[in-house]
Amino acid sequence: MKAARIAALPALVAGGLLSGCAGGSTLITAAPLCAGPDGADNGVVLMAQSVPTATQVPCIRSALPLGWNFHHLDARNGRAQFSLDSDRDGQMAVEVRLEASCTTAGATEVPSDRDGMRRLERVGRTSPSYAGTRYYLFDGGCLSVVFSLASNDAGEALAVASQAVGFVSRDELRAQVRDASGGRLSLDPPPHENG
Amino acid sequence: MATLPPAVTATGTVARPQPPALRHVRRRRRPSGEPPPLPRHLNASGKWWLAASGAVVLAWIAVAVTGSVSLFDVADTRVLQAFAQVRSPPLTRIALIAGALATPIGVYLLWVANFAVLIVLRRWRHLFVWVGVALVVVNLGGTMLTLLQRPRPYEVALIGRWAGFSMPSLPITVLTTFLVCTLYSLVPAGRYRTAGKWVICGLLAVTALSRLYLAQDHPTDIVAGAILGVAVPLAAFRWLTPNDVFPVSYRRGRTAHLDVTGIRGDAIIRALQDQLGLLATSVKPFNLEGSGGSTPLKICVKSDDAAGESYVFAKLYAATHVRSDRWYKLGRTLLYGRLEDEQPFHSVRRLVQYEDYVLHLMDDAGLPVSHPLGIVEITPEREYLLVTEFIAGSSEIGEADVDEAIIDQGLAVVRRMWEIGLAHRDIKPANLLVCDGRLVIIDTAFAEVRPSPWRQAVDLANMMLVLGLRTDAETVYQRARRQFSEEEIAEAFAATRGLTMPTQLRRLLRQRGRDLHAQFLELLPYRLPPVRIQLFSWRRVLLTIATLFGAVLGVMILISVLGQPL
Repeated sequence: MKAARIAALPALVAGGLLSGCAGGSTLITAAPLCAGPDGADNGVVLMAQSVPTATQVPCIRSALPLGWNFHHLDARNGRAQFSLDSDRDGQMAVEVRLEASCTTAGATEVPSDRDGMRRLERVGRTSPSYAGTRYYLFDGGCLSVVFSLASNDAGEALAVASQAVGFVSRDELRAQVRDASGGRLSLDPPPHENG
Repeated sequence: MATLPPAVTATGTVARPQPPALRHVRRRRRPSGEPPPLPRHLNASGKWWLAASGAVVLAWIAVAVTGSVSLFDVADTRVLQAFAQVRSPPLTRIALIAGALATPIGVYLLWVANFAVLIVLRRWRHLFVWVGVALVVVNLGGTMLTLLQRPRPYEVALIGRWAGFSMPSLPITVLTTFLVCTLYSLVPAGRYRTAGKWVICGLLAVTALSRLYLAQDHPTDIVAGAILGVAVPLAAFRWLTPNDVFPVSYRRGRTAHLDVTGIRGDAIIRALQDQLGLLATSVKPFNLEGSGGSTPLKICVKSDDAAGESYVFAKLYAATHVRSDRWYKLGRTLLYGRLEDEQPFHSVRRLVQYEDYVLHLMDDAGLPVSHPLGIVEITPEREYLLVTEFIAGSSEIGEADVDEAIIDQGLAVVRRMWEIGLAHRDIKPANLLVCDGRLVIIDTAFAEVRPSPWRQAVDLANMMLVLGLRTDAETVYQRARRQFSEEEIAEAFAATRGLTMPTQLRRLLRQRGRDLHAQFLELLPYRLPPVRIQLFSWRRVLLTIATLFGAVLGVMILISVLGQPL
């Protein structure tokens, strides 16, 4: 029955494809824009649902600089993260991660470029390629921006993280959901409901 | 009916008895638009589920165009809030357990278990459909998630695991698909499958309630996911693995044999009347153990003689037989190299047409074959019936008395095939019948017109070996010398060994415990060098490389599939 065993090969190949496809089916390839036609994109709302305590939610401010592309958004209960690809610094060169809290051990606090947020920096290495993490701490959440660059020139990536990644406040998202539902729905459950 | 030509033998002719006077009625041409005797069908429920999925897609479009998603959001939220009202720690623990089937690990285990069982059972077609359906559904669901971009439920605490957008509910879609695929690939049709449908309903209901309680999905996400998850596999399995062609069965026996009771039996009877004008009264499997490539049938038909009824023989060929033939030939090419014509048939219609043509050719040449009565279409491009005369009272040559007259007839068959440029290529005891002192040759599906001289020589040696099984080499050799020269017989035995003999013949020779082949060689005044058969060809080399590459790739992917939850 060698022929029959050969017949199983396409199934195995398809099985491999299937496992790959299914694993990626919940990943979102559309960039979560801070300001779309109807306010923040639903991807931003989904990130807010991932971390219900976060008062700020990251998003993409506008079109990315030349050479940079949005990779995907993975939003799930407890955390949300999206990443950016660079034609010079490689795939997922910058990863933006939203969590309720994060460990900032070894990071140094620096003056923040965002209102109401503390900023910390930790440099892993600078040569032969740059690796480091930037943290933004705010009420109910922590945003980690992880740099894994193919080169040691971090200037452009650090600038992209500052300029292209923005924030939408949870209050703005609440207002957006309320408006979209004609005042009938709210983004978050009533405060007394703790699940 | 025209008088049949007599079979030619070395000792004269053997008169063929006239076939029974079968009663014929007027044949009927199927009008355009009328379904064939056994149409492909989806059943009413399959159509209903497909319509439901169409309705889901239309609803999505309508909601997107009218911007009325908030209405659904509000309605869904109210339902989820009602569930949230009854939340308690024990209920939450129960809900988390109840929803385990729709978790990545639950779905993954279901997938791997099905994969393994289908491979062990060698149910390849079901496996392919399974994988294809899963690919389609997962990608369709993923595409809809991206297009619709519906956030998770509002105004209620989400206390279960979730990922990505919510419409349709991908866990429910995939779980439903996998459960329906399991049902249609592993559970036999009938009451077990009916019971299985209720079990699936129960499992899905429990899972859905769990997900609503945990507020992982909106109710409408779950409904849409379940409809998609049922409709796609249901349509695919009913269309691509219809139960009457690819039955799920755990009975022992060859899978090539089709069930000829029920709607297929009725279709055969109707088709015989419409297409051949024969009035069939019963259709029964016949000598199944002797056939692996088709379903042989003994069909009772009305006749005009005193008995009032007679029989015809029929071979039911289905697309599955053509595929089996294709894989069998590929396997032989890989294992043994080039054995002359190993090109497979590409459609069941061609296979049946070819066998019918060869039967006519042999019949016209006076060879003792079952008189062909025609081809009957059961399902276009899928099932055909080749109808021939029924040889009543016959027995296999391996169980019959073989005298010199039978030996002469057998050898004359080979001589006559040489004369008309034909090789049978499957001469073995199961394909030689003896009936009232008359030899009949059957199963001409492997025959080849204008074969190579080597193939013709193999036919002679195989015929002599079959005849020698029931007598002795000396007698067969002496009778053969009346029709064949020493050189022809020497060439035959130089060409024939091992793989060139049909499996049944090889097995019987081993069982007899005497080397009949060697005995014939000893009788020859001289021997010719063996004819090489295991010729390497580019096709074989490339196929072998491709197979090895595929095997390595398959193992790597299997490891990947086993290690990576869906």
